[in-house]
Amino acid sequence: MTVKVRFFARFRELLGTDILTEPEKEESLIALVRNIARKNKEGYDALFDEHGRFREFVIVMRNGKRIEHEDAQAIRVADGDEIAVFPPVAGG
Amino acid sequence: MIRVQTEDVDIGALVAAAKQPGTGAVVVFDGIVRDDDITEMELEAYGDVAVAEMEKIATEATQQFRLLHVDIIHRIGLLSIGENILIIIVSAGHRPEAYAGSRYIIEELKKRVPVWKKELTRDGGRWVPGEHGHGAGKPRH
Repeated sequence: MTVKVRFFARFRELLGTDILTEPEKEESLIALVRNIARKNKEGYDALFDEHGRFREFVIVMRNGKRIEHEDAQAIRVADGDEIAVFPPVAGG
Repeated sequence: MIRVQTEDVDIGALVAAAKQPGTGAVVVFDGIVRDDDITEMELEAYGDVAVAEMEKIATEATQQFRLLHVDIIHRIGLLSIGENILIIIVSAGHRPEAYAGSRYIIEELKKRVPVWKKELTRDGGRWVPGEHGHGAGKPRH
């Protein structure tokens, strides 16, 4: 099973992007992102609070659809999923 | 034309193409890199999602303001001071709809479309902060 994780903007600078990972069976979305983010403390701290929850402003998408933070624990990633994590948008 | 791209566009050609039958007004919004003591601006997008969200916004604006034509081109990559960042061109039968439609598109784009800007300076760079709590639309149930 392969899942792609994409970080954008400041999160990309801290953690990289287009990361292909092979998660554990039944791994939750938030656990998957935590495991990747642990490679860089500054990156981890940018995404998660002291309880390991996504910070309020962090936006998470699964296959192009935004998901709520409280669902990130219950959602199990699936083969071929694309998870995107990014800060508030600032285009225009 | 709804696009995220590195290349600039020919605004004059887009205005000409926007003059559909029944057009009484064309409004052009051209957002450019401002000289805020920066050297360049770097833009980044979540490409497919950005284009999909821009297409939704264009459809909403067309329906709400009876627009006849919409172009939204958001540039990415490294841009110099004075370069175009975002071009929005709308046409409508009358100016109130054209102005309102253009305004709707830029305001929704700033809230919902996953694009980020980094201002590059001689000392490094700084990401332009997005509006807290917004981004890429509300969660969909």
